[in-house]
Amino acid sequence: MQIKVNGRTVEIFSGACVRDVLRKYSQITWKQVQKGTKAVFDDHGHEIGLDGELSAGARLMVKRVVRTGPRT
Amino acid sequence: MSARTFFRAGSFLLAAVLVTGLACASCASAPPAPADTRIVIFHSNDIHGKIDNFAKVAAIIAREKRSGADVFYFCAGDNFTGNPIIDQYEPPGEPMLELLNRLGLDLLCPGNHEFDIGLENLKRFAARARFPFLSANIEAPAGVLPQLRRSVVLRTRGGVTIAVFGLLQVEAGNGLPSTHPDKVRGFKFSEPLAKAREMEKLRRGNQVFLALTHIGYEDDLRLAAQMPELDAIIGGHSHTRVDPAETVNGVLVAQAGSDNRFLGRVELLVRGGRVAAKKGELIDLGGKLAEDPEVKAMIVRFNQNPAFERVIGEAPFAIEGKDALGSLMTDAICRSHGLDIAFQNNGGIRLNRLPEKITLKDVYTLDPFGNQVVEIAMNAEEIRSLVRASFAKGGDIDLQVSGLSYTVRTGADRLIREIQLRGPDGQPLAEGRTFKVGVSSYVASSYDFAHKDPGRGLGSTTAEALIRFLEGRPDLSVYRGIQRAFQDPPPTGGRY
Repeated sequence: MQIKVNGRTVEIFSGACVRDVLRKYSQITWKQVQKGTKAVFDDHGHEIGLDGELSAGARLMVKRVVRTGPRT
Repeated sequence: MSARTFFRAGSFLLAAVLVTGLACASCASAPPAPADTRIVIFHSNDIHGKIDNFAKVAAIIAREKRSGADVFYFCAGDNFTGNPIIDQYEPPGEPMLELLNRLGLDLLCPGNHEFDIGLENLKRFAARARFPFLSANIEAPAGVLPQLRRSVVLRTRGGVTIAVFGLLQVEAGNGLPSTHPDKVRGFKFSEPLAKAREMEKLRRGNQVFLALTHIGYEDDLRLAAQMPELDAIIGGHSHTRVDPAETVNGVLVAQAGSDNRFLGRVELLVRGGRVAAKKGELIDLGGKLAEDPEVKAMIVRFNQNPAFERVIGEAPFAIEGKDALGSLMTDAICRSHGLDIAFQNNGGIRLNRLPEKITLKDVYTLDPFGNQVVEIAMNAEEIRSLVRASFAKGGDIDLQVSGLSYTVRTGADRLIREIQLRGPDGQPLAEGRTFKVGVSSYVASSYDFAHKDPGRGLGSTTAEALIRFLEGRPDLSVYRGIQRAFQDPPPTGGRY
C-alpha cells in the first residue's frame, strides 16, 4: 500500500503501522521520532501513536515538537 | 470545586444556554424541557494490553460519579496484542477481562485485535464480561458470541435514553478486519459506513445518539459527514490523539490516542429532550494522579504473570550463537506460516543462548521487539538483493535464514562479487520460481532491497511464531553447530 509522509509516497506492506512507514521513509527521521524531538501527525493535525494502524492512502506529517521525554 | 473547574463548568453552561436558545428560536414546538441531564462518557481505545494506568482510570471515574453526573465508560476496541505479559496470560485475555469488569465498563466495540486471542478464548472472554459487545457490521456464526449486539439503548437515572451502535474496521481488499483470517473464520463482516445508514432509525425516540467505533479517525470523519443525526462518535483503531474532540458536521468526534496514555472524557448536556451542548477532551494519565488501591493491586498481580515461567520447549542442549538461534527463529516463521523461506537479522536476536528448558520469558528476551511477520513474494534475484543490502550494512553476515543457505563471496576489497543461493537439497535455488518469503516488519521496512511485491503483514509476531513452533515439540537437536549463511573468504578472526 502507499502512504504519504511529508508529501513523499512510501510503498509499504499492507498491515504496516506508523513505525514501519517511518523506518522506511527515513532512518534519521525515525530516530528523531524515537528520541521525541519529532512526532507524527495525521492530515488533520492530530498526533498519532507509533503503533497506529494505517490504511492505503493515509497521509502523515512528521514535525518537530518540544516535550519532556521520549515517546514509545 | 476549584476555580479552574468552576470556570470550565460555567463556560460550559453558558454555551449550553446559547445553543439551547438558538435551537428554541427555530423550534417553537419543542417538548417541555425536563431538568438538565449531565452525561459524562469516559472512553479508552487501543489499550493493547497496557494495563498500568487502569488504577488512575478507576479513580477518575469514581470521582466523577461522586459529582452527580450520569457516568458511563466505553471502550472502542483493541484491548489485546502489544504487551506479552498480558497477551500470554492463562487464560488469554484474563487481565483485561477482570480489569474492565472491575472498572464497570458499559460497552465494548470489538476491534480487529479482539480476534487475535482466537475464537474459543474470545467466547470465554465474552461469556464472563459484564458488558455487551457492540458492532452493527459483524455477523457471528449461529450460537457464537451471543453477547454481540448491533446497538444498545442506555438509560440515565433520570430516564434520558442513549442509543449507541458499534462499527468495526474491515480491509478494503478482503473485507475482513486486520487480523489473521483464521481467527475470524465463520464470521461475516460488512462495510461499516454502509451499515451505519441502517442505524439512522435509532435517532427517533432517543435523546442521545452515539456511535462507538473501531474504524479509524478518517472513517469517523466520513461517518460524521454522512450522519449529522449523531451527537458524537467515540472511536479507535488509528491511535489518534484528538484533543479537544472535534465537531464535524455538528457531530463531536473523539478518540483517545493509544496504550492507555490518555482517558477520553466526553460531556453532554441534555436539555429539552436533546443534546444542547457537548465537548470532549483527553486526560493525560502520565502524571501523578490518584490511584484506586484495589485496582493497583490487581495490576501488580497481573504483571507477575506466572505463565512467563512456563517451559514451552526442551532441547537436548543449550542452543547457542546467532547461527543456531537464527536458524531456529526462521524455521519457526516458515513452519508457523507455511512459508518457503524466512530471514532474521542478527540485531534482532537478543540472547546468545537459550537454555535446555525454554520458557516463555526466554522467548520474549530473545525476541522482545513485537515485530510482526511479513510475507513477500520474491524471486531469487530479489532474495539476492535482500542479502546484498543486509551484508552492506556492516560488511558481514547479518541475516540468518531458513529454507535455503547462502554464501556471500567478496573480493580483496571486501566488496561483494557473488551471492550463491542453495535450496535445502544443496542445489542452486531455482531462478524462475517465486518464493513465499517471511521477514520481520523491521527487516521489511528498514532494509533497502528490490521487491515488486510490497508484501503483507500476517497479523502475528515473530515471537509468537517461535512459541507456536516450540509448543509443537520439534526436534531441537538439529540446532547444534548449524550454519546456513556463509562468507567467503571468512572475515579475519570471524566465525564465518
